[in-house]
Amino acid sequence: MQTTAEGQFEHKILPKTSHDEFARQEFVRSYKEFLVKHVHHGNRVVYDQKVQPEFIRQHQRAPKDRFEVRDLMSTEPHYRMFSALLRTSQEMMWSSAQKPVEREFSKMLRRGVAKSSGKTGGTLRLNPALEIPKYLTAVDIHCQPGGYHTETAEGDCSAGAVYDRAVHIYAMGQLGPYNDDMGASLAEWLNVRHPDLEPKRILDLGCSVGHSTVPYARAFPDAEIHAVDVAAPMLRYAHARAEALGAKIHFSQQNAERLDFDDGSFDLIVSHILLHETSEKAIHNIMRECHRLLRKGGLMVHAETPQYKGMTPFDAFMLDWDAQNNNEPFWSRSHEIDLNRLVEYAAFDSSQGFEEMIPSCYSMSEADRSQVFQGGDFGGGGLWFIFGATK
Amino acid sequence: MTESTRLKRRAKGQRPFFFDDPNVDRIVAMVMGLAGEVAVMRDRMDTMERLLEKTGGLKRKDIDSYKPTAKVAAERAAWREAFLGEVLRIVEAELEGLSDDSDPSYDEAIKMVQTEKD
Repeated sequence: MQTTAEGQFEHKILPKTSHDEFARQEFVRSYKEFLVKHVHHGNRVVYDQKVQPEFIRQHQRAPKDRFEVRDLMSTEPHYRMFSALLRTSQEMMWSSAQKPVEREFSKMLRRGVAKSSGKTGGTLRLNPALEIPKYLTAVDIHCQPGGYHTETAEGDCSAGAVYDRAVHIYAMGQLGPYNDDMGASLAEWLNVRHPDLEPKRILDLGCSVGHSTVPYARAFPDAEIHAVDVAAPMLRYAHARAEALGAKIHFSQQNAERLDFDDGSFDLIVSHILLHETSEKAIHNIMRECHRLLRKGGLMVHAETPQYKGMTPFDAFMLDWDAQNNNEPFWSRSHEIDLNRLVEYAAFDSSQGFEEMIPSCYSMSEADRSQVFQGGDFGGGGLWFIFGATK
Repeated sequence: MTESTRLKRRAKGQRPFFFDDPNVDRIVAMVMGLAGEVAVMRDRMDTMERLLEKTGGLKRKDIDSYKPTAKVAAERAAWREAFLGEVLRIVEAELEGLSDDSDPSYDEAIKMVQTEKD
């Protein structure tokens, strides 16, 4: 299974782990891989062999949508145990990533911003007055205790440090040693599909620690790269990490719904798994903001997990696991939203809109991937869903 | 400046329990915590065995006759406390929730993000 994926690249800012802390993180990764390989598929077996045939016998039809599947599956012992195990793996993942950060806390503070500025010319602009939107404070998204934004001291970047390590464990290495596969795959797609775009200014929305931002600095070395997020601990860490990796990026603390950049000032705007963590109102605001910020002929592209449209009710139900069970309250709705109308709403010409599955550029053997989209197996599909539009 | 800090253990938001009796979910979490610590131990032993193999011997009677000093005993006690913290993680995390009454119900959170107005 995913054991062929490499370990995480140990850049200078990555929290150091003791022998046992590392072993604990490795255990969580093995635990998650075990669920993907040995436990997850049992849900399909139960559904195909027992739940669906029984339903058809009683109703002379198959379950019509993911809600009916959910009602049927939620009492199945295998699904319950799978869910209890998957939820627990998520909690243990955060815990295992937190411990080294807690221990290295003061070192992280010192290393954070002060030591990292000025090497590549990248910058960090924070706005302590920025209000953290309700969709990020109502619950802690994907169960990271304290969410993206919580700070326990001035200059704190611990949430970013925890996130950097946890993402690698979460994806079981399937995003590559830099956790950058989404950005890298999209940059590669741009080179192939839009060779004439030659972006001079690029904006990455909801960048967190900049995993997906850095590949654009590599792919477009002459471009000026901006990245925004609402969470200061993420941005402090992102800045330090980008400097450690030699990528020149301008990070600023802003809400992607209302940005302080000039109209028409970007050639390319991207986001990576941002939109499903926002809200109905925010996703519309973000689209409008993209339209305002792009020059005529500029391109916006958003990478997400695939829409439920066209999936079987069972597959949609399994991909929806996170919505109910992993603190992703906007996940369900964002996977069913009409993307054409969303793009049109923001004044893009919908004939210039597109939706596509693009290949992952992280070369893992296909045999090592699960080849499906399922809760708890991020990146297992080996494909990314993108949508967007040209202005 | 403090040398270390303690981050929140519990993610804000109602935790789903999947079994009729939530204690079954708690036991699952404990068993997996325990499994994790056994795996950590196994890695540590593996490291030791490999290093010993490379650097030469250790006699079994040296292990049998080893008497921990007070300092070693204290280190081991601290390790056991941390070990139990891992195994009983879920109990500790849920206790945090008792004093954290600001969670909306999960359905309210879904409704809020879908319908939020200015």
